[in-house]
Amino acid sequence: MFLAFKEMARAKVRFALLIAAIALLVFLILFQQSLQNGLITGFIGAIREQNAPVLVYSVDGQRVIQGSVITPDMEADVLAAPGTGEVGPIGQGTFTGLPSGNTDGETFDTTLIGYELGPDGNGIGAPSTVVDGRLPTADDEAVVSDADVQLGYGIDDTVTLLPGGKEITIVGVAENAQLNVSPTLFVSYETYLEAVKSVNPDAGTPLPNVLGVIPAEGFTPDEAVASINEQSLTLDALTKDDAAAETPGVAQVQQSFNIIFLLYGLVVPCVTGLFFLIVTFQKANSLTLLRAIGAPAGRLVSSLLIQVVVIIGLGLLVGTLLYYPVSQQALGGISLQFETAAVIFWSVLLLSLGVLSSLVAARRVLKIDPIEATTGQGVGS
Amino acid sequence: MTTTPAVVSTALQLSDVRKVYTMGDGSDVVALDHATLTLGSDEMVALVGPSGSGKTTLCSIAGGILSATEGTIVVGGEDISGHDAKELTKFRQDKVGFVFQSVNLVPFLNARENLLVVDELGKRTGAPARARADQLLEELGLADRAKNLPSQLSGGQRQRVAIGRALMNDPALVLFDEPTSALDTKLGEQVMELIQGEMKSRGIAAIVVTHDERITHYCDRSVHIVDGRLEA
Amino acid sequence: MKLALKELRRRPGRFATATVILTLIAILLMFLGGLLDGLIASSTGAIRAQNADAIVYSDTAQASFLRSRIDPALRAQVEATDGVTEVGGIGNVQLGARVPGNGPRDLASVALFGYELAPDGVPDAPPYGQAWADESIEADGVEEGMIIEVGPARTPIEIIGFVEDTSFNGQSSLWASPDTWRDTLSANRPDAQLGPDVFQALIVRGDGDDLPAAIDAATDGATDSYTVDEAIDAIPGVTEQQATFNQIIGVTVAIALVVIGLFFALLTVERTSLYGVLKALGARSSTIFAGLVAQAVVVTAIAALIAGTLVVLLDVLLPPGSIPLLITPSRIILSVVLLLVAAVLGCSFSLRRVLRIDPASAIGTTS
Repeated sequence: MFLAFKEMARAKVRFALLIAAIALLVFLILFQQSLQNGLITGFIGAIREQNAPVLVYSVDGQRVIQGSVITPDMEADVLAAPGTGEVGPIGQGTFTGLPSGNTDGETFDTTLIGYELGPDGNGIGAPSTVVDGRLPTADDEAVVSDADVQLGYGIDDTVTLLPGGKEITIVGVAENAQLNVSPTLFVSYETYLEAVKSVNPDAGTPLPNVLGVIPAEGFTPDEAVASINEQSLTLDALTKDDAAAETPGVAQVQQSFNIIFLLYGLVVPCVTGLFFLIVTFQKANSLTLLRAIGAPAGRLVSSLLIQVVVIIGLGLLVGTLLYYPVSQQALGGISLQFETAAVIFWSVLLLSLGVLSSLVAARRVLKIDPIEATTGQGVGS
Repeated sequence: MTTTPAVVSTALQLSDVRKVYTMGDGSDVVALDHATLTLGSDEMVALVGPSGSGKTTLCSIAGGILSATEGTIVVGGEDISGHDAKELTKFRQDKVGFVFQSVNLVPFLNARENLLVVDELGKRTGAPARARADQLLEELGLADRAKNLPSQLSGGQRQRVAIGRALMNDPALVLFDEPTSALDTKLGEQVMELIQGEMKSRGIAAIVVTHDERITHYCDRSVHIVDGRLEA
Repeated sequence: MKLALKELRRRPGRFATATVILTLIAILLMFLGGLLDGLIASSTGAIRAQNADAIVYSDTAQASFLRSRIDPALRAQVEATDGVTEVGGIGNVQLGARVPGNGPRDLASVALFGYELAPDGVPDAPPYGQAWADESIEADGVEEGMIIEVGPARTPIEIIGFVEDTSFNGQSSLWASPDTWRDTLSANRPDAQLGPDVFQALIVRGDGDDLPAAIDAATDGATDSYTVDEAIDAIPGVTEQQATFNQIIGVTVAIALVVIGLFFALLTVERTSLYGVLKALGARSSTIFAGLVAQAVVVTAIAALIAGTLVVLLDVLLPPGSIPLLITPSRIILSVVLLLVAAVLGCSFSLRRVLRIDPASAIGTTS
């Protein structure tokens, strides 16, 4: 322990550089973890957040809500499926919205998700967790996603849709309920229909985009999905989580990030392993001397491992400290979060990989023959 | 610059040279005190003294590796007393040869390339340097070892390569730092015979730093140094 | 410097691990860059291809085709603007297409455009019921002459040929006559259907310093006009993606710098006695340092070469549509240049030590 720390104190620059490299890598990995999660949540958070366990798209919709259209025939097929308990229509559209809470008078792409409120606003398709305020109980009321509050979509603010000027009042806030990385409002189905008409008077009455389904007694969501899909090839039923995961783009985002994580993750043990291998060679003479005067080989190896753990630990700490303020930001509409699970996962992974990589250097240390102190050969170049 | 070769009769002139180090706590350590030494242009001198006596300091000053605190140093007719680091570097390229204690050949260069290192770092004459290197290798009996790396050479052979390197720039003075300390008696004698032969046949002055009294007879005279002071 | 390069050649093993790490970092840089380029290209192809001095949307559309409406009266105002020489309507609809030979639930994503003025690389609008297709649709099994069925109404569209680099929002685009587009829109998207002669946006060609502004002034703010570049930036996600990726790339370059700095700092420590000897023999610090930089540059260049080859290979092996990767020579060159700059700067960590090595250390007892 004593040797390990003394050495690090005497050669501050090199150890500082190594810690800096690891810290930057850790920061990038954690930041991108937040980015990935924020992106995906911003994309399909609303799908996960709404309360219907099963969603039915039309196959033509290709798992994009806005592209999906449910005709009355299709709705009849869904109702006829044994796995279907209750059904509620869900409509989605993107509009230009002017939130009253925005002091600059800015307009934003605003997504409206319309669902049948039911008696207390908790109909099929309603947001599951309202963290502030309440669910809508009448037309022209909305629950907004928490990420949008700072843009001016706060409780009691009104959102004016353009053109047409239809106004909607925000009454509640839900967590992680965005769709398509844009401000998202959960409204009554009637409100949604009126919104579509108000911006485009030519439009006919839109059909629902998706049906929210509560499985029948005794059916799990997966069984309900299978039962509905059997009814017709034009129906595309999915559980809520599958619908989120299979939205086009989500898989791509995850695959891309996975490659990135793999590469960054490899760099850390390589840099650590290289560093300690070189340093071991450089210390060869002193290591030989220590062995000659009686230091057990295991002590020298544990000294090395202590340094590895301390270095990586410090790198993790600094990297996480750099990450924390960044994780509190919103990046172009994506709100980031401090991903504690990711911090723990990567800390454990990088520590293990770092220790593994230093075993190469440890092996070298174990090979030292104390007799070489007298012959002056050392470990060699 | 200032030398006209034919007229130079002294290789080295140290006059009243002092080297003082100031320690961290403010006290002074005198490594070399009023050192005066003259070497003829083809004289070989053994500089003998125990460790810590200042012989390395004197050698370093004579070789232009270290600056003196006081005194005059003239090597091969060039006064290097006031030279700055850059000038000393150039001086070393041109006028001095070194054979270090641990031989210090560049481990990834073969024998011939080790000889060419000085030219590479300095004047870059190219073909004339290569010709000289080959000639020196021949004269040192290493012609068939020209392409060998130091790891492939024996201790004595490495020593000879180092001597060859020291001679490449036709120096006014060659400094040998403990040339026999790592060798057994027989090999040490062989090396000293070689050194003596090469220096004398070329008429080059040399200082041989050593604590080994067995080899001083190879030199023209011995100078003893104790605690930074030269004894006659 | 020759000395330094000789060491590289004679002792490659010593530099091997650093080269591996740098190769990993170089792959990261090129992959990130290629991902960014691919995402942007597939989002913006259709707009980039437009040969236009202005693209005109209606004022509340936020540059979104779907929310924009230009009726004939508004169009007349645009046409009457000073400097405007040609005006063409454009609109699109995004639907799923059934391709013969593919499964019933396996649809191709398409963006069907109706256009009057042809974009670069696209011929004039074909007859009714036919369309040019962006070549990316070939990955879905579409061939020339094939009739695909578009949308829930299964509107038939015959593919008469392919064009390049016109993707929109990550989807393959189809280029058809305005009538084809309008009928497809009303059959499949009754809620978004438009009256005859109504377009979603206008492609405008003309003269003048600031045609978009002139048009918006002439229509009294009823339109929202952009240059092609501005329209590209207005596509959702484009500017955010660029900013985010560029930041990540920047930090990665910094990591490369630190890794090189670290490795060469360690190497310098190892060679202290060698440098001492060289200095004693007359080497200047600048020569030694230049050798160090030369080694860093060569190692980095080799890493970049290997990385470039691997990334190109990855691009070839990736199934189309899995990851939006676009590998361009300019991106690879940029990555290499960034790495080389990092290499040279990374060596600066060793400069002080090289300067401080005392030639006198060569004489005397070895450590």
